Amino acid sequence: MFPQKPQLNRFIQPLTHLTCFSCNTENSRPFKDGDYVFKEVEEKCPKCGSTKMLITGIYIEERQLKERER
Amino acid sequence: MVFDILQIGGQQDILSTLVSLIWLLLLLSFFLYPGFSQRIQLSYILRDLERKLNKLRIIDDDVKDRTLKAFQEHSEPNIDVKNELERLVDSFIISPESMDPYGIVYKLEHIVNTWEDRFEEDVARICSKADPVKVKTLTNLVEVSRGVHFIYRYVRHYYLLGKRTQNIYLVLQMQMLMPQIMEIAEAYRQASYAFAQAQPIGDGIGALVVAKLVHGLEKKTYEIAKDTIVHELELDGRKLLILRASGPGGTVGRPGEGIVKLIESEGDRVKLIITIDAGLKLEGEESGKVVEGVGVAIGGTGVDKFKIEEIAKAKRIPLYAIVIYESITEAITPMRESIVKAADKIIEKVKQLVNEKVEKGATIIIAGIGNSVGIGVT
Repeated sequence: MFPQKPQLNRFIQPLTHLTCFSCNTENSRPFKDGDYVFKEVEEKCPKCGSTKMLITGIYIEERQLKERER
Repeated sequence: MVFDILQIGGQQDILSTLVSLIWLLLLLSFFLYPGFSQRIQLSYILRDLERKLNKLRIIDDDVKDRTLKAFQEHSEPNIDVKNELERLVDSFIISPESMDPYGIVYKLEHIVNTWEDRFEEDVARICSKADPVKVKTLTNLVEVSRGVHFIYRYVRHYYLLGKRTQNIYLVLQMQMLMPQIMEIAEAYRQASYAFAQAQPIGDGIGALVVAKLVHGLEKKTYEIAKDTIVHELELDGRKLLILRASGPGGTVGRPGEGIVKLIESEGDRVKLIITIDAGLKLEGEESGKVVEGVGVAIGGTGVDKFKIEEIAKAKRIPLYAIVIYESITEAITPMRESIVKAADKIIEKVKQLVNEKVEKGATIIIAGIGNSVGIGVT
C-alpha cells in the first residue's frame, strides 16, 4: 500500500595492507582515516614486534565482494 | 435486449452478467478510443520512472549529506557551509564556441583550468581547517556531488516533461536508459564514501603502477606542472622520466603540460612515451586485464591527449599505451584486488618495453595517468 523505501547497496570498507620494515611480514587491517599507500606508520608488527610499518596497499579483497553478494 | 444477448448459450446470474458488461465496455473503449492502450502504457512507464526518480533523490540526498558533513568537519563555525556547498554544486562550465574550431583545445584548456582553480580556491576558503591534500580530496567529493545532482535533475526534467506533455516516446527513451543511469548513480554514491575518506580508487591504477615502479629506487623528484610530479632515474642504462599526479590528495594533475615541458627540456633524447591508464571494459570482459596498444591512454577533456599527440608527432616519438580494464563502477569506487594485482604485471611489461624498444643512453617518458587519491609519493 505504501511505497517501499529503496534499498541501497552497503559500502564495503577496503583493507589496509602493511609490510614490516624489519621482517617484511605482510599484515592487513580495516582502513583507518589518514591511511594512504606508501605511508610509513607506527604500528606494531604481529611477528617481530617492530613498530615501523609501510602501507603497501589499500583495496577491497575478492572475498569481501563475495560476502556482500551472499 | 443486451441481457438477452448475454444470456445466449445458457442462463447466467447477475454477477456474471455484470462482469460480461465490464468486459464489453472495456473492449468498446479500445475500439472507440484508439489511444487508450497507449495511455495505460504511459501511466505504467511514468510510475516506473517515478520509483527510480525517488531512488535517485535518496542517492542525491545521501551524497550531499556526506559532502556536507565532510565540509563541516574542516570549516569554521561562522561559515554557512550548506549554502556555500549548494552554490558549488549548482555551478556550471560553458564549453567554448566550436563554429570556428581553430584553437579550440587551448580555449577549452583555459576554461577548464580556470574552473578547476576557482573550485579549489572556493573549497579551500570554505574548509579553512583542511590541509592542501585534504582540500584536493574535498574538491573531488564536491565533483561527485555535482555529478549525482546533475543525473537527478536530468531524469526529473524528462520525467516531468513527459508527464506534462503526455509524450510516451520521451518517457520510453528515458525508461530504456534508466538501468545504466541507476548504475552510474549508485557508483557515484559509493565514490562519495571513497573520496570522503581519501581511499584509492580504481582510476588511480596508473599512478599506483608508477609509484610501485620507482619505490625503493634512487631518484630525483620535482614538480613539472600544477599537481604533477616527475621522478627522474636511471634504469638499465636508460634515463626514465616518470610522471604522475602528486598524491595522496585527489587530483589527476596536468600530464599533457608536464610531458610537453619534459620533451622541450630533453630535446631529441626522448625516444619513447608510454602512458598507463585505466580503460573501460566491455561487458563480459575480465576486470584487471592488462592490454597493450599504440596511442595515448588518457581520458578527460581531450586537452592532455591532444598536447601529447601534437608534440610526439612533431618530434616523431612513438606512443605506446598500456590499459587496465575496469567497469565505470570499479573506476570510481575503492580499488579492488583484481585491479591492484595487475600493477606487478604492468611493471614487468614496462621494463620489457624499455629494454626492447629503446637503446641505452636514450630517455623514456612513462606517464601513470589517473586520480592519485590515497596514493602517496614514494
